[in-house]
Amino acid sequence: MTSRGRSRRAFIATATRAVLAASVAAPVLSACAGERRPPAPGLEPELNIYNWFDYIGPETVAGFEQEYGVRVTYDTYESNEEMLGKLMAGATGYDLVVPTGYQLPLLRERGLIARLDRSRLTNWGNLMPLFQSTPADPGGEHGVPFQWGITGIAYRADLLPSAPDSWGAFLDGFAAGKATMLDDGREVLGAMLRYRGHSLNSTDLAELAGARQDAIAAKAHLLAFMTLALKGQLASGDVAMAQCWNGDARQAQRENPDIAFALPREGSLIFNDYMVLLSDAPHPAAATAFLDYILRSDVGAAISEETGYGTPNRAAQERMRDPIPYPLPAELARLEYQHDLGSATELWDRIWTEVKASA
Amino acid sequence: MKGRRVPFAVSATAVLTYAFLHLPLVVLIAFSFNRSRFGVQWGGFTLDWFTRLASRPDILRALRLSLVVGVASTLLATVIGTVAALALSRHRRRVRRVAEALLYLPIVTPEIVAGVSLLVLFSWLGITLGITTIVIAHTAFSIPFVTVVVLARLEGTDRALEEAAMSLGADELSTFRRITLPLLLPGILAGALLAFTLSFDDFVTTFFVSGVGSTTLPLAVYSMVRKSVEPTINALSALLVIVTTVAVYFADRLARGSTRA
Amino acid sequence: MIAARRRFLRWVSRHEGSRGALLLGPGGAWLFAFFLLPILILLGYSFMPRGPYGGVESGFTLEHYRRFLDPLYLGILRRTVWLSFLCTIACLLLAFPTAYFIVRSGRRRNLLLFLAVLPFWTSSLVRTYAMIFLLRDSGLINRALMDLGLVHVPLRLLYTEGAVLAGLVYGALPFMILPIYASLEKLDPALLEAAEGLGARPWARFVRIVWPLTFPGVAVGSLLVFVPSLGSFVVPDLLGGARHMMIGNLIQNQFGPARNWPFGSAAAFAVMAFLMIAMLGVLRMTGGRAGTGDAR
Repeated sequence: MTSRGRSRRAFIATATRAVLAASVAAPVLSACAGERRPPAPGLEPELNIYNWFDYIGPETVAGFEQEYGVRVTYDTYESNEEMLGKLMAGATGYDLVVPTGYQLPLLRERGLIARLDRSRLTNWGNLMPLFQSTPADPGGEHGVPFQWGITGIAYRADLLPSAPDSWGAFLDGFAAGKATMLDDGREVLGAMLRYRGHSLNSTDLAELAGARQDAIAAKAHLLAFMTLALKGQLASGDVAMAQCWNGDARQAQRENPDIAFALPREGSLIFNDYMVLLSDAPHPAAATAFLDYILRSDVGAAISEETGYGTPNRAAQERMRDPIPYPLPAELARLEYQHDLGSATELWDRIWTEVKASA
Repeated sequence: MKGRRVPFAVSATAVLTYAFLHLPLVVLIAFSFNRSRFGVQWGGFTLDWFTRLASRPDILRALRLSLVVGVASTLLATVIGTVAALALSRHRRRVRRVAEALLYLPIVTPEIVAGVSLLVLFSWLGITLGITTIVIAHTAFSIPFVTVVVLARLEGTDRALEEAAMSLGADELSTFRRITLPLLLPGILAGALLAFTLSFDDFVTTFFVSGVGSTTLPLAVYSMVRKSVEPTINALSALLVIVTTVAVYFADRLARGSTRA
Repeated sequence: MIAARRRFLRWVSRHEGSRGALLLGPGGAWLFAFFLLPILILLGYSFMPRGPYGGVESGFTLEHYRRFLDPLYLGILRRTVWLSFLCTIACLLLAFPTAYFIVRSGRRRNLLLFLAVLPFWTSSLVRTYAMIFLLRDSGLINRALMDLGLVHVPLRLLYTEGAVLAGLVYGALPFMILPIYASLEKLDPALLEAAEGLGARPWARFVRIVWPLTFPGVAVGSLLVFVPSLGSFVVPDLLGGARHMMIGNLIQNQFGPARNWPFGSAAAFAVMAFLMIAMLGVLRMTGGRAGTGDAR
């Protein structure tokens, strides 16, 4: 055999050995996922949480893992619809998800969420009375209130001539080329409905047609529909005015203090998010333990301080340096909760597609 | 090919095309060493962004998962694809046409259609999305590639060697083990490397069939890219590109070296 | 052990025909189960009514296809087809000279081929991110233009339809280079020399000889570019700022937030149907041209 043939054989032999070694190593690597103390008695060793992006304290999950010896898998989503879409696909393997209030009746009716075992939620009393039983979850049986927030306009005070105070700012090209709205049909169309003085839960064809027109008109001035990338873009100044949630605005303010937040005078939406236990959750005991964990005042405070949203937890609020106060009645009058649209969902989806597909 | 020189317009376009293909990635990788976080001003050389990757458990998990899925789907696809290539090369009959059509169908189907159809299948069967479903999907789209590569290698080998061995008294199995397989090995390895690359870099199909805690590296990059532009993503992208380049380089050497056999 | 092996070999040699099926079995079965079958199920879904969860419930309906025939959705498909077509043309214009350059490059051919193949395998996501990095307001291109004094305000490059097209071309270009190269390589230079000797000018030589003979490569390359571009959703999402909706985005949306799987299936099948028709058209053209090419 020629020397070249010999070296080629050697090369192939080495390559084969490397491939075999890698195929053995990889499963081994995945098995040694890290030693952890055994889970607390009665709890499963794992927990799967599906939550909004940037919606938890920096040490919340790690703290739970340490205290309870449970390994947590934590995935995130950007919109209610995205999360719901995943849930509807069938057994997802998640234990806890965080829907907005208006979805709770829907999830309850379809048996997708389980009743809470309140006897195990020792910290339930930490919640403000108004959150212990809400219209979305009467009796507090199916969800643990997580955070609440409002949608408004986040803007760069240093880049705009004046503060925007109306949804109309998106229509008259106020920050043309540097304005964005959320990539969410209910938010965008809801804002346009409020602009015309209608309810953001409207299913009236005429009102929706008006909102559609306004949204398409606004789109012409928009840089993009943006949810996830907002904080970075506001901080860098690529975006000067954005439809945004108050917590995200607060988080962005940490990067750039010139960012301000305003509630439009026509009003906007207020939301309560709940952490719920899925009825097909593979780890119900660990999930319930986590629900009790986030009701603790220290954990709740850490979450709200990081996210910038309002906390429904009275005990947590008392610990916070600078908590978001619950809206005063005057403000509440301008704020509206979302409701499930029922059979009108398809209509709204079609209108949103029209807006997105318009030139 | 002798003859006149290549027209300048053609050469220029070619050079520009190569630049277009490679410069963006080179720039991307170059800026993963940039000290300054925002903008494109050069702030000094640093490996910080790479070390930061190592301290992010979510990224390490994604890397581990991508490797596991890559190796698993590669093994499966290589075995199945090689076997299929053997069948296709030896049995010239009508079946071959149909088989080839089936084998190459994935190439003319948009990946999104393949992805959602798998989602529908798994949902219909009630299979929870996760690592298993990803491996199944990756194997499916890798098989045609492995088959093509091994088939090319097969067609290039001299059947006479096998016939000589058999005429000397070796049975089918020995012939296969002692003669055919070693001859095929470079092609098989090349196919395996390409299958691994396909799996490691795949996004669209994985996007639809991943579930709890089954975030592969491309999926992790996607979330990061949607959120912001920062050097950490550059570093992660550089990692992906380097793995791909190494794998393709070796596959190329194996596939090419073998045709000179 | 040896006896078993001998028995196995006897069985194998006796069942020559079914051996082929056996070897092809795993591959065929895998692809049938995880490729063909899912697509058939998808087709079935497109004819079923939407269930309460966004899945399907039993029944038969044409409403999803009826809904797709609305100008809104057809318009999205039309725009997607147009963009993919532009992308294919752009790739063709860039790839043909490049492939020719490689063929004529002599000693450096292997290196050039490797460099052309490499982007083919690189993650499409990374390549899209590279585009974002270059095109954004504070990205490299604007930075360079401003430093050179050519512009004073950053050009709006990202989140435009042009950015989407650039992203599509960037992702698809390698797919066009290789097939054209394969075709060009087989071209016998003697033909061109003969034509020149007979007085044909460069353009005539190209149109009459090069183009017809490389047409199969062009056809394959066009297919490999057009198909992925048609189904693309990452590029319009990341580079288009979620405001340039392509059919891929529509489909992805239906399987996600919009929760309408049967409608998404119908849309997916509309795309497949369009592709089939387009491919048949191209095949018919290729069949004719290949005939001419063979008549040397």
